Amino acid sequence: MTSKFKHDIESPLQKQNRHKAMEAIRIINTLKDDFKNPIESMNYFYKLFEDVFCNQKSLHDGKLKVGTMCIQIPSEIIYALDAVPIRLCNGFYSDDEIGSDYMPQKSCPLVRSTVGHFASGNFSDKPHLIYSPTTCDQKTKAGVTIESFGYEVVDVDFPRVKDSEISREYFRRSIREFAIDLSKKTGNKLNKKSLKQSIAKIGYAQSLYHKLCEYRKKKNIVISGNDMFFVTNAFFFDKIDSWIDACENLLKECKQREDENLFVNGKISPRIVYTGSPPIFPNYKVPIVIEESDGIIVADETCSSNRMFNDRVAVDEWFVNDMLDSMADKYLKACTCPIFTKNDDRIRRIIDLVKTYSADGVVYQSFAGCTVYEAEQRSVLEAMEKEGIPILYIESDYSPSQGGQLTTRVEAFIESLKTRKRIKK
Amino acid sequence: MKYFVGIDIGSTSIKISIIDEKKNLIGSKTSASGSMFYKYAQETLDLLLKELEISPKDVVYTVSTGYGRKLYKEADENISEITANAIGARASAKEFGEIKTIINIGGQDSKAISLDNDGNVTNFAMNDRCAAGTGKFLDVVALKLEMGVDELGEKHFKAKGTPLGVSSTCAVFAESEIIGLLGNNHSVEDIVCGVHYSIAKRIVKLVKRVGVKEGIYFDGGPALNEGLVNAIENELGKRVFIPKFPQVTTSYGAAIMGVDSFLYDQN
Ligand code: SF4
Ligand code: SF4
Repeated sequence: MTSKFKHDIESPLQKQNRHKAMEAIRIINTLKDDFKNPIESMNYFYKLFEDVFCNQKSLHDGKLKVGTMCIQIPSEIIYALDAVPIRLCNGFYSDDEIGSDYMPQKSCPLVRSTVGHFASGNFSDKPHLIYSPTTCDQKTKAGVTIESFGYEVVDVDFPRVKDSEISREYFRRSIREFAIDLSKKTGNKLNKKSLKQSIAKIGYAQSLYHKLCEYRKKKNIVISGNDMFFVTNAFFFDKIDSWIDACENLLKECKQREDENLFVNGKISPRIVYTGSPPIFPNYKVPIVIEESDGIIVADETCSSNRMFNDRVAVDEWFVNDMLDSMADKYLKACTCPIFTKNDDRIRRIIDLVKTYSADGVVYQSFAGCTVYEAEQRSVLEAMEKEGIPILYIESDYSPSQGGQLTTRVEAFIESLKTRKRIKK
Repeated sequence: MKYFVGIDIGSTSIKISIIDEKKNLIGSKTSASGSMFYKYAQETLDLLLKELEISPKDVVYTVSTGYGRKLYKEADENISEITANAIGARASAKEFGEIKTIINIGGQDSKAISLDNDGNVTNFAMNDRCAAGTGKFLDVVALKLEMGVDELGEKHFKAKGTPLGVSSTCAVFAESEIIGLLGNNHSVEDIVCGVHYSIAKRIVKLVKRVGVKEGIYFDGGPALNEGLVNAIENELGKRVFIPKFPQVTTSYGAAIMGVDSFLYDQN
């Protein structure tokens, strides 16, 4: 057949870019188009995600890009050494499919897609080197696989117990080692001034997140949970100063919306605390279903949002080593990741969130293959039952199917919360 | 002169090919299946013979194929559309080289067929449970976008933004997804392009089940849609061959089978 339209066949790289772009635009459009009262200043974030994931725009050229495999690598140190941190936890199904060839079928999609991302080598901002804290087994092992693709991966020793004095000492040493290593690689020396500045900057960024969260405590909500995930996920890769500006604008608009009585929740929308495996763009499968079913996510306990911003570094001695120690303490102690024993800390945090945000229920998502979240689920469910907090446990993955079943379960849960609310009144 | 007829009675349309003893395609015709397969098949054949000025007496062998093949009682033989498709594809792609893989998108199903070096079918996979990724699906899309199916190809190449895929596997839900996208002011071009990629992805999955072997042939009515062809080529990362009349490969194959059977009977 003679062709009217001349076209070349995409290279594997172009094809994968298109796949990711199609995945990304879908979620961006859903948030932009499908919910009532959209916030104007969210457009910065929608545009950012479109630029980076649909148009492959790089943001950090000219800087040393330091990939981190988990939140437990202090970005304060990276910034202080004039490099940029890029969180590598990935949410793309297209990458998950690629990663499946390298990781066991039973591994979690987050790890598979992170590995797949490296296998394809297809980055908007390709990290120059990678720090991988030895947290869960899968992350730890993924580091070795990524190394085999020709990347430099440095393990950062990480304790699995956090209450003991030994682990505290251990992680302090680990963080010092990390600082020395990165300082060698950047050719910059860590000094008091720059470290102090970056602690202040990250602290300020955290404070903005907390201010946004103040609005979520109120009876009527000005910002949806999904929008909040956009904001916090942007922190993974955005230029920090632009992120700060965008959040300041968002805060202004939130204030204004409150004055104008523009809210995203309905009269009886159940208030949800979201916990478990982290929603990472564009895998917002569960959070979107929740909010499409008239639930409103008022808070979360995940490492892609709340856990990332929760506690601030508290310094009492401003010497480099003391600052490093207090950073290590903050990252270790404040983290409620289920890789740690015991389970109490996360339970305490969830209950606390339910109370402060007057939530009606909890949704707990665990990625299929994530043993730690799965294992902890039982004790969390028991604890919630004891407290009289309704909770829904869902296992999910990154695949675009699963829609119907998932929606039905979430809808039923939201409905039941509404019924409870009505009766209480 | 002896003539051979292949009749492909599909779920949405009837395709008829007439060939001579040397297996040259003399003529072909398609019509909608409608409610009376048999009657329409007969009428279409009569019409085609008349147009070609061939006397029905000169038709020495008829082979039927497709879903409705058994309904056409006049046929001397009937064969499955998989076999007919394979024979027709190999015969009509001579200039292209060896055919090893066939992608066929029909009105209501789609299939991938894998052939060995001798042209025997070694494996095939079908998606016949619903209209997702079929010609019917494209009809629905075109209807919703208020254009002809034949305009989809052109729109595809005019897409500027990211293709806006539809995720629903069900044509009914896909329809409402498209309405949603339109309602939110997304460009028709980006939607069309996305739809093509959604179908292409599904088809390529099917092809992967039988194994992607170099020498790929794409037929069935939707193969006329160059946007879809482009999407399939991109998803496969390989060129595909489109015959001149992709709608009639299967009936052509059936007719060829007729020649072989006829000669076999005579010897
Ligand atoms: S779940 Fe835990 S180990 Fe995994 S990325 Fe989050 S904080 Fe790190
Ligand atoms: S979701 Fe679970 S398995 Fe996956 S990286 Fe996080 S802790 Fe590890």
